[in-house]
Amino acid sequence: MTEIKVEKTASRGTAIAPAYIYREADLTPDTYPVEESKIQQEEAQFQEVKQAVMAELEQLSQENPIFAAHLAIADDYTLQEGVIGRIKSGKKNVQQAIAETVEEVAEIFGQMEDEYMRERKADVLDIGKRFLIKCKKITVQDLASISEPVIVAARDLFPSDTVKMNPQFVKGIITEEGGVTSHVSIMAKNYGIPALTGVTGILEKLQDGSTICMDAAEGRIVIEPEEGVLEEYKKRLQEELKEQEEIKKYRSMAALTPEGKRIFLCINVGNTDEIKLALDKNIDGVGLFRTEFLYMENTHFPTEEEQFAVYKEAAMLCPQEVTIRTLDIGGDKSLPYYEFEPEENPFLGWRAIRISLDMPDLFRTQLRAILRASAFGHIRIMFPMMISVEELVQAKEMVEKCKEELRKEQISFDDKIEMGMMMETPASVLLAEEFAKEADFFSIGTNDLTQYILAVDRGNKKIASRYDSFHPAVLKAIETIICAGQKYGRKVGMCGELAGDVKAVPKLLELGLDEFSMSAGNVDYVRRTIIG
Amino acid sequence: MVSQRLVIKNESGLHARPAGILAQAAMKCNSDVWIMLGEKKVQVKSILNLMAAGIKCGTEIELQCEGETEAEDLKTLAELIESGLGE
Repeated sequence: MTEIKVEKTASRGTAIAPAYIYREADLTPDTYPVEESKIQQEEAQFQEVKQAVMAELEQLSQENPIFAAHLAIADDYTLQEGVIGRIKSGKKNVQQAIAETVEEVAEIFGQMEDEYMRERKADVLDIGKRFLIKCKKITVQDLASISEPVIVAARDLFPSDTVKMNPQFVKGIITEEGGVTSHVSIMAKNYGIPALTGVTGILEKLQDGSTICMDAAEGRIVIEPEEGVLEEYKKRLQEELKEQEEIKKYRSMAALTPEGKRIFLCINVGNTDEIKLALDKNIDGVGLFRTEFLYMENTHFPTEEEQFAVYKEAAMLCPQEVTIRTLDIGGDKSLPYYEFEPEENPFLGWRAIRISLDMPDLFRTQLRAILRASAFGHIRIMFPMMISVEELVQAKEMVEKCKEELRKEQISFDDKIEMGMMMETPASVLLAEEFAKEADFFSIGTNDLTQYILAVDRGNKKIASRYDSFHPAVLKAIETIICAGQKYGRKVGMCGELAGDVKAVPKLLELGLDEFSMSAGNVDYVRRTIIG
Repeated sequence: MVSQRLVIKNESGLHARPAGILAQAAMKCNSDVWIMLGEKKVQVKSILNLMAAGIKCGTEIELQCEGETEAEDLKTLAELIESGLGE
């Protein structure tokens, strides 16, 4: 029996299940030498691998046209010449030859002037990966194939990984990297899966199938528990299930404080499936629709039609209200099909509204899609990462321009659509009153606000204990925002982690917060705390 | 060797899809096929080379074919480019 203690936790829940270790493939080429007599064999292996890759891409291209271009690249003459040439020189084995050729070609694209062409570098590298996976005969683990209860342990999990997991079978998640506000934590919370992140060294201590007990609230992991410990966890799991039943009784009640103030309880989501999962929770709306997943889990910038379909579905699923936040990438969120230049300080870099304002075509596509969807429900637009009133004015002007276009095209939309902003930068707090004159509503993003006010990187494990949303400076900032909002009659909500933290609820009510938006898994608990 | 001057009409130039179509068609030709961009010689049978050449809309190119079937290959490929490469 091994016991591990994790200091910082953000989710709750107990899980007992066998370990499923998710290993990333090591694609470093093997370095075996090739003798003169074996050169032909290496060439033959390349041809074999190429056929296998092409067969794979052939199939993929039937579902997604982007793979048709990948198929043509895999079959490319230059690529083949490069690889065969390197093998024939006798100095490289097939894996090294592929890796070097792909790197060389990718570099040519990476240096091109045209942005579209620069992005093709990612395509070339992706094809290179397919070749190496086949050469090294690596079986790529597929999280989508999990069909029995497990606790997934990984170095880190990306949106492309978590999207494949079936919450019915993934009982718990443990990762070596990442903090309590990382993507995997947020996803786990949404699905109500207990998760522990930043657990250094866990993979070394585990074997596939090892029995794990975990308590996400306490931050305890027990590997191969003794009989007594296992019993204790089983009992706790039973109690939790009972409490969940108990708490459901509050569901039908409106969130009224003992003083009689009606509080709006909303959910944060990244896709429409999450809305469907939360429809039975008696919510007042979607307080934060993160549109970045639409961009991240894609092979290209989503088109106006693609986005419109999603926003429209959201608006129709949740007629009360859906607050759509415009693209918030950069920082810790990148795109598989667009290469961001490396930055020294990505969280202080080119991200969110800064990208939208700098790439007006991209912004326009999204705004038009949101506006068109607004004809089908009650949608609000929210801009992230604002630091100056001018930015807000500029963004609003862009919306007006799109409205004008739609009017000319005789496409309907909600002309009175509200436009608000995330309050997450120190600048927005200091200028809260100025912003309140321009914005229709505020939503406090406590994750970034805490990180920026305290100058504490929220992904850095070493300083994770200093990341504290209850810090007096953060609470002071929240108070400033709420006061400014009240002064100008603006509704003030919160969509950061703090809004779903029952320990924070009494303080936030005291400060006068109107709307709490959180992962669906927290709604029942917060409702009970508000009703008291 | 035979050659013909042509202007690329595709709005986004020879990006992945049209380049793929052109390269695939060139692969079926028995003759060697190049595009001359001023002094630069681009191998048409390679989608990577075509894309890397960054040929934009409105660019004038010289399509060259050399081999036994050069005349008909040139005709086929020139028509394909003229037709907008599937766009």
